[in-house]
Order: sequence, then structure tokens, then C-alpha cells
Amino acid sequence: MATRSLVQAIHDGLAEEMRADETVMVMGEDVGRAGGVFRVTEGLQQEFGPYRALDTPLAESLIVGAAIGLAANGMKPVAEIQFADFIPPAFDQIVSEAARFRYRSNNAWNCQITVRAPYGHIPGGALYHSQSVEAWFCNVPGLKVVAPTYPADAKGLLKAAIRDPDPVIFFEHKKAYRLLKQEVPENDYTVPLRKAKVHREGTDMTVVSYGVMLHLVLEAAEKLAGEHGIEVEVVEPLTLYPLDKATILESARKTGKFLVVSEANLEGSVSGEIASIVAEEAFEWLDGPVMRLGAPNVPGIPFAKPLMDWYVPDLERIQGKMLELARY
Amino acid sequence: MAEKTYREALKEAMTEEMERDESVLLLGEDIGVYGGTHLITDGLLDMFGKKRVIDTPISEAGFTGAAIGMAMMGLRPVVEMMTWNFSFIAADQIIQNAAKVRYFSGGQVQVPLVIRGPNGGGVQLSAQHTHSLESFYGHFPGLKVVAPVTPADVKGMMISSIRDPNPVIFLEAGALYGTRGEVPEGEHTVPFGKARVAREGSDVTLVAYGRQVLLCERAAERLAEDGIEAEVIDLRSIRPLDEETVIESVRKTHRAVSVQEQWRYYGVSSEIAAIIQEKAFDYLDAPVERVSGAEVPAPYARNLELMCFPSEEQVVEVARRVLYQEV
Repeated sequence: MATRSLVQAIHDGLAEEMRADETVMVMGEDVGRAGGVFRVTEGLQQEFGPYRALDTPLAESLIVGAAIGLAANGMKPVAEIQFADFIPPAFDQIVSEAARFRYRSNNAWNCQITVRAPYGHIPGGALYHSQSVEAWFCNVPGLKVVAPTYPADAKGLLKAAIRDPDPVIFFEHKKAYRLLKQEVPENDYTVPLRKAKVHREGTDMTVVSYGVMLHLVLEAAEKLAGEHGIEVEVVEPLTLYPLDKATILESARKTGKFLVVSEANLEGSVSGEIASIVAEEAFEWLDGPVMRLGAPNVPGIPFAKPLMDWYVPDLERIQGKMLELARY
Repeated sequence: MAEKTYREALKEAMTEEMERDESVLLLGEDIGVYGGTHLITDGLLDMFGKKRVIDTPISEAGFTGAAIGMAMMGLRPVVEMMTWNFSFIAADQIIQNAAKVRYFSGGQVQVPLVIRGPNGGGVQLSAQHTHSLESFYGHFPGLKVVAPVTPADVKGMMISSIRDPNPVIFLEAGALYGTRGEVPEGEHTVPFGKARVAREGSDVTLVAYGRQVLLCERAAERLAEDGIEAEVIDLRSIRPLDEETVIESVRKTHRAVSVQEQWRYYGVSSEIAAIIQEKAFDYLDAPVERVSGAEVPAPYARNLELMCFPSEEQVVEVARRVLYQEV
């Protein structure tokens, strides 16, 4: 075991996969010589050379498009989009090409690419460096969408994503990159895709969350246990699409109360899907409506710190929402 | 009122607005000389000239970006996407610029822009021309997203969209361009965020938008034969969403089925179901169910395409299920 932050764990996962399989490569803006703006790919170009740690122009459609072409020719590229906010120019490549490759070729071709992108709010990130874009890709059959939070999960999921024969969009919360360190196995291991994780067991309500919100939810759960004797079960989806419905529904049926917390603006976000599944398939077990907490209907995360603090759900609001549900 | 097709209603709305306001202009691929791939803009080049009906290169990012610039400077462009699938190329312009300019300029700059075109399928255009984009665009504050189904609403909502100071995503039911309905002459607007009760009923609420409204109406007729009165809600607007009308209906019927053509997971129906169960939980006598398209890229073959989209039978069956009358 080694003690690693999220950023280090992802780096290790990439390096180990590149050592084990010479068709694995990374590509993106500043991922080579500079080692990536968040230092995720630091040292990879020194170790594996400029062709396997490839610096690309500022052109996201090209990064993903070239990755698709490389995959069609036997490589396993891991494309980095510097900030998830920059991903729209690559939408067409991801949604209309990568996601449909296998289907359109009647299984003759697959598209083994991983697209990594740091998402979520950071102070000062504002409209174009703080967005939560995960829902944008979750309505696209053919893609897998992954969003781990803790270092050990992230490393194992990244390895699983790279080895998966189909395209995986891998979201990393940039505020969680250096938030904490955790023991991470050094031996080769994977964390399965499409499998949720129960972080904390409880009997009174279930809260589903991911990213930095998950850290706050776990903190709030401890406070609720201490101050009110309410035991909250906390579930992290890990894979947002396709969802691990079994784990989510099992927890909902056990606790009978359900809350989803994410920092994306609410309408059309991931929480709507989770809420509708629970309300549809665990209806008879529910003692209250499935509640959701998310960001307000504002076109972007504000730059000003007080406005950003208002926009992103905080510990107090999360705890308040949990109590509201508990008292329903 | 005269009876007109969906296509004629669209063209009438744009023509009347172009006659009324010379800042209104059209841009898109093949909309001028050729009259539009779906013949929506046929004849408008002759009426308004090439400065107001602009044939663009095949470059969605280019002409959408240009239209945003025109809108910021005071024009009112209406952009045609040949199909909404192609808008992915322009996604950065639409969600990062059009939707945010007013917000990040502190309200100083507005973007009175309409982007319109056929959304969804039904006419054998296969995987890359049949994507339904309502839940994608519906997620973004700063955009308005509409999906009308009757020719009257098509005209009224297009006029409202052109006059609105914000970017509007106008999703047309491409398979219905030839369908007919009564359309009011002249000035006729339909507000955003106001659903239409397409059919009144007391036993179950069917929520839909676009082409699926007609499907729900047909399903409702069949249910009525067995004495089940379904209320059909036509959302018309996806963003803003008329929660009030939907919730009011569910409080009356106690049961709801949300119907969409797009893929089941993370679709508009997910949001509708989440809202209903949250705001009408104590009124619900059954889980809110969803009827959706099959979770595959749209096939080309007619028989497979039909299997992929919701059918009357499915809606009837699911409506019976929420009434606990499973057969």
C-alpha cells in the first residue's frame, strides 16, 4: 500500500497501464512536456517518449477524433480534455462517432478509448472552468460514464476503463485532486465498471452523491448520527451510466427515504434519473418523496466567491435537506 | 381558421415575422436556392433576397457562431439545423456562448436567436440523423427549449421564439411536417413554459411532447373504449417546464405515465418523473412510469425503427399497469 492523493492515484494508474501494455498511450493539451496542467501525466513523456505521451494542439475535436482513429488501428488511447468545460468541440466525435462505432459496424469494430476530464467547481473557475458536465453524456447509449471520488477507486476504475473495449468518459473532480490522501494498493487491481459503492451503512435514509459533494455528504452523515441519532446510508454510483440500479434500489428499499445530491444545476441532471428510478421501482417502500439537492438554474457558476458559495450546495444545506427528509 | 400543414405553419410564422421586422433573417445549409432540405424555407429567398436568406457552408459551428454574433449586435437570426444531430458540431457555440452571454455580460448583451430543425426520428434516417436532443439542451439554464406538435402551436411558438430576447432551441417533429391542423391567421403567439391539456381525463395522466403527444391521444382513445379516461398533457416547452399544469393533473388523477421517444435513461421523462414524485408524492397511488425509445442508436430498417420507438400498445399497457389493471 502507498499513500496517494486522487491526482497521484490517477497518475499511477496511467503509468502502470502504459508499462504493462505498449498500446496504451496518453494524448492531450500539455500532457507531455509540461506534465498536464494538474500534473496528472507528469513524467510520462520522459518514461515513454513523445509518441506515447503525445502533446496535441488546442483542438478537442482533433484529440478525440485522433484517439478514435488510433483505437481503430489497435492502440488504446487515453485522451485528456484539459477542463471538462472544453469538451463541447469534441461532442460530435464522442457522441456521433465513438459511441456508435460498434453498433454501426454491426460489431465488426470497437472503439477502445478513454476520455479523461477534470470537472466540478473550484474557486474562481467560473463559467468555463467549473462546470459539472457529467449529465451531458449520460443519455448516450454506447458510452460509459464514470465519476470516482476517492484515490483507490479512481485508480482501479481507470485501469478498468482503459481495458474496457468500448469508450469510457472518465470524470475527475478537480477540487478532490488534492483534498485527501488514502491508502492505494500497489499491486495490479481493477474496480469494476457499472458497480456502485456503499461508503457508509445506515438504516434511516439513503443519500446518493459523488465528487466533492460526496465528501460533504459523508461529513453531514456523521453529524446527523452524532446530533440526531439518524443513521444515513451513503452510496456513490461510481459509474453514472449505465447505473448500478441493484445497489441503489436495495438501499432505497432498506431505508425508505432517499436523497440525491450533486453540484450540477438540477433540471436534467444525473439526480433526476436516479430519483425517477427509485420512485418507479421502489415506490412501495418509500416513506417520502425522493428529494434532490443541486445547483440553481443559473447559466454558469459565478466567479465571485460569495456567489459561488451560494450556487454550490454546502454542508449546511446538505444537512438541512437530510433533516427535511428525515422529518417527512 | 385555415387548415395548414406543420411545414406551412412554420414558414408562415417566419414569413410574417420577416415582413414585420427587418432585423429577422434566416441562415442555414441549402435554405435559399434549394428551399431547404425539408422545404421549410421554400420561396423565401425570392421574397426577401440573399442578405436575409443566407445559404451557408456546411459548417454548423461557423454559421451558429456567426448568428450569435449577429444577435449580439441586434439582428434576430433564425438558424436551420438540417437535423439536430448536426448541432453537436455547434454545441460549444450554443451552450458556452449563446446560453451564457447575457449572464456573463451582467445583462448588457442579449442573444435573440432561434435555432430550429427536425429532432428525433420516424423517417428512417438512421443513427446519425435521428438523435433526440431535448434532454441535452433542456439541462442548460440560459436556453429556452420548445417542442410543439400542432401546426397552431408551431406557428405561435415560432413567433414567440423570434420575438424572445434569449436563445431558443426549437425542436420540430420532422416526421410530422406534412400533418395538418387549424392555424390562426396573422398575429398568434404561444407563451413559453405553458403546457396544453390536449385531452381531459380523470383516471391517469399521460405526459408527452412533440410527436408522442399524438401517440398518447391515440392511446387515450383506446383506453376510453374500456372506460379509462386518460388526461393527455402536451408540455410544449421543455425549458422552462410547466410543472404546475403537470402536478395539478396528477393531483387529480393520482397516476402518471411519462412518454418520450428518446432514450430512457437521463431523458426528459426522468426529470418529469422526478418532479412528479417529489411534488405530488402524497397524491400518487402508483409509481410514475416511463415509456421511452429502445436504448440503441436508431436503426435504418423500417421494422427495426418501429420497434425502437414507443408504440400505442406500450402506452396503453403501461397506463393499465399504473392503474393496477395489468392484463
